[in-house]
Formats: sequence, C-alpha cells, structure tokens
Amino acid sequence: MSAGPGLRLVPAADGPGDIDGLLIRVARGDRTAFEELYDALSSAVYGLSRRVVRDPARAEDVTQEVFLEVWRKASRFDAARGKAKTWVMTIAHRRAVDAVRRAEAQRRQDHHGAPDEVSFDEPADHLIRTEEHGAVRDCLDSLTDLQLESVRLAYFNGYTYGEVATLLDKPLPTIKTRMRDGLIRLRDCLEGAR
Amino acid sequence: MSTDVHTLSGAYALDALDPREARDFEQHLAECAVCRAEVAELQEAASLMGAAEAAPPSSALRDRLLEAVDRTPQVPPLSAPPAAVGADAPATAVSLDAARRARRPRVRLFAAAAAVAVAAVGGIVVTDAMRTDQPTLAAGVTQVFRAADAQEATVATANGGRVSVAMSAGEGRMAVDTSRLPALGSRQVYQLWTLTDAGPVSAAVLEDAATGAAMDLPAAGTRIAITIEPVGGSEQPTTQPIVVVDPADV
Repeated sequence: MSAGPGLRLVPAADGPGDIDGLLIRVARGDRTAFEELYDALSSAVYGLSRRVVRDPARAEDVTQEVFLEVWRKASRFDAARGKAKTWVMTIAHRRAVDAVRRAEAQRRQDHHGAPDEVSFDEPADHLIRTEEHGAVRDCLDSLTDLQLESVRLAYFNGYTYGEVATLLDKPLPTIKTRMRDGLIRLRDCLEGAR
Repeated sequence: MSTDVHTLSGAYALDALDPREARDFEQHLAECAVCRAEVAELQEAASLMGAAEAAPPSSALRDRLLEAVDRTPQVPPLSAPPAAVGADAPATAVSLDAARRARRPRVRLFAAAAAVAVAAVGGIVVTDAMRTDQPTLAAGVTQVFRAADAQEATVATANGGRVSVAMSAGEGRMAVDTSRLPALGSRQVYQLWTLTDAGPVSAAVLEDAATGAAMDLPAAGTRIAITIEPVGGSEQPTTQPIVVVDPADV
C-alpha cells in the first residue's frame, strides 16, 4: 500500500502498545511521534484538567505544562513500570490538582474566603463518548455511594483525603479505606469489561 | 506503621495525600514491591476514570505547544535504573531518589579488565587539550567517583579509548566516565547497556560522552556494556560492544 505524494499516513494510535511506542520515540527526540502522542492523548489530558481546574483557559495551561513535561521527561518513562497512557494521565492529574490547590491557597490569601469565581462551561456536550468511557461509567455505578463520593471528591475536586473526611463527616481511616477499595472495585470491574 | 501505611495506596493513586505524607509513602513504596504493583494498578484505574472525561482542546493550544516544544530541551536518561524489570521494578510513582535509597547492595568491582573484549578498531581519540574547554563530567557522575567508599576501575575499550567505572554502595550508585572514549561522527552515539540472562537493556544513550552517566547500582550478576549506535540510540545493540564490564559481588 503506498501513499500518494500529498498523502500522509496517520497511524491510529489507539492501543496502549501504540502509545508506549510513541513515547519511546519521543524520548529520542522524535517530534513527529510527539505530535502523534499529543493527538492521541490531548483530549484525555485536557478533559481531565478541565474537570479538575474547571476553567477552560487554565485547563489549557495545565495541558500545555503536562505535554511539555512529557516531552522533557519522556526518557524517564519505563514501560516495565506501567502503561505510557497511565504515566501521562498521572502527570496530568498531579499538575491539575497542584493548579487547583495553588489557586485555592491564593484565593484564601487574597479574598479571605470569598467564593471562587470560575467560568465553567458545561462539559457534557463536548465529552467524547466511546465504549471504553461507557465502561468506566458503568463500573463507577458498581461502587458504593461512599466509595464513589470519596474517589470522585479526591480525583475530580483535588481534595486531600483529610478534606474528604471532613466534607463527608467520616473518620479518616474510613475514607482512606473507601478510596482504596473503591479503586480496587473499579479496577476489577474494568478488567472484567475488557 | 506497615498496615496503616499500606492502606494509603488508594489515596496516593488519587493524589489525595499532603506532600509530606506522599513523600513518606513513596519511601514505603520503594521497599514494598507488592505496594508498587498495587499503586500502578490503582493509578491505571484512576487514569481511565480521568480519560472518560475526554474533551478536545482548542487547535490553538496544539500550535502553542509545538512552538514551546521546539524551545524545550529534553532530559537525558542519566538516572534510568538499570534492568529494573520484573518484581523489583519500582512502580511509576516511586521517585528515583526513593528507589535509590532503598537499593544499596554491596557491590564490588571485580576483575573488570578480564571481561574486556579487545579488538583493534580505528578511531580518533579526543586529546586532553581538545577537551579542556568542554564541560566535564556531570555532577551525578563525579559524586559517585568521589564517594568515600567508591571502588573504581579503568579499562581499555576495543576502539582505543578508556572507560572508568565507579561504584559506591553508600550512594547506591554506579557511574561511568566515558570522557576518554574516541569522538564519534555526528550520526553515532555511545549507548550503555545492562546485560543479564534476560538480554541487554538500554541504560543510557550518551548524547555527549564527555558528561558520562550515572545510574542505580545494578543487581548482582548484571554486566555493563557500551556499544556504538546510530544517533538516538537503539532498542537492542546493533554492534559488538567496545567494552563489557563485570561488577561482581564478592
């Protein structure tokens, strides 16, 4: 199969193996691989960032930081330790949570506790729906209410488990445990869905 | 603190620990292979939950980012842990520092010269005079050579250069001084490998041989090899090693 002179074959980087391969090429300075990696993961990174930081402009800043870190530190990715997509998404979540906590600290300092103002466009209509995402939603439904609330408040709102315990008025050990067994249940359910 | 700490894996995977707790937990992770495996799996589950929120960013962001990438240098793989495959491989979340602290086997450089394969290969040796103005060994490399307990050996390479290897059990690190290797053309680099029964694993691509490389102490039975590879490095060695060093545990 040959591509015409004006055509460019764009590999569909949808499998985890493809993402791993792309990241390994990025570590060697392959800019084309970086563009492909961005095209494959930018929606996931931006969508998560926006969900956590709420503000679309700030979410784009976070997304840019994440991919610059991925570019810079690609050589530190080790496929033996986990999937490339997980590596990128873990960086994304840390950066997003850091941004939220920094903004919150700043807000407390500036406004002495005045409510935070965010421009938040409802993401539902832009969400990319795929089968995999449907499986995540189904599996989240299999969690108990307390597991789900603990996991979501921490992951999407950037709260520490101490803050979650305060919000839900539960003892710290309970929240710690619910976060862990909630994620374990999610993991097991997603494995079964594959 | 073991049972209590162990239950933090969920909160850690959700980034829900405060910074001090996260550091403590990472230290625990470095010593607990089971915890590392669990955290890796929980992080994957969390990241799938995050990916389910996917929404496309503006196309302007792509342009901005690619422009920024062109101005951003990449971090070299100097600290890549060697041959960390299998049960002992640290999870994604383990910081290199934490992993380093945890692994301090007593390693002794043993009969290194005997393991060197010698063959006559031409090459232009960079003279000391040519090197004086160049930046010298990376700080992480000299740190190992200067460690109080450093054990050091210098061996000849098949292409007419010399390589020094230092190990420090106290630092938990090994360093390779490659500054006296012959200069390569612009299309070739030296690449460092760890050799085990499972085969060679890339430890570092030496974009600039003058800086050398440092890494965690390899597991017992691991040998270190250097090959000449195309720029960017190779998945697997494509040439015969110019040197193989055998750090044997006594």
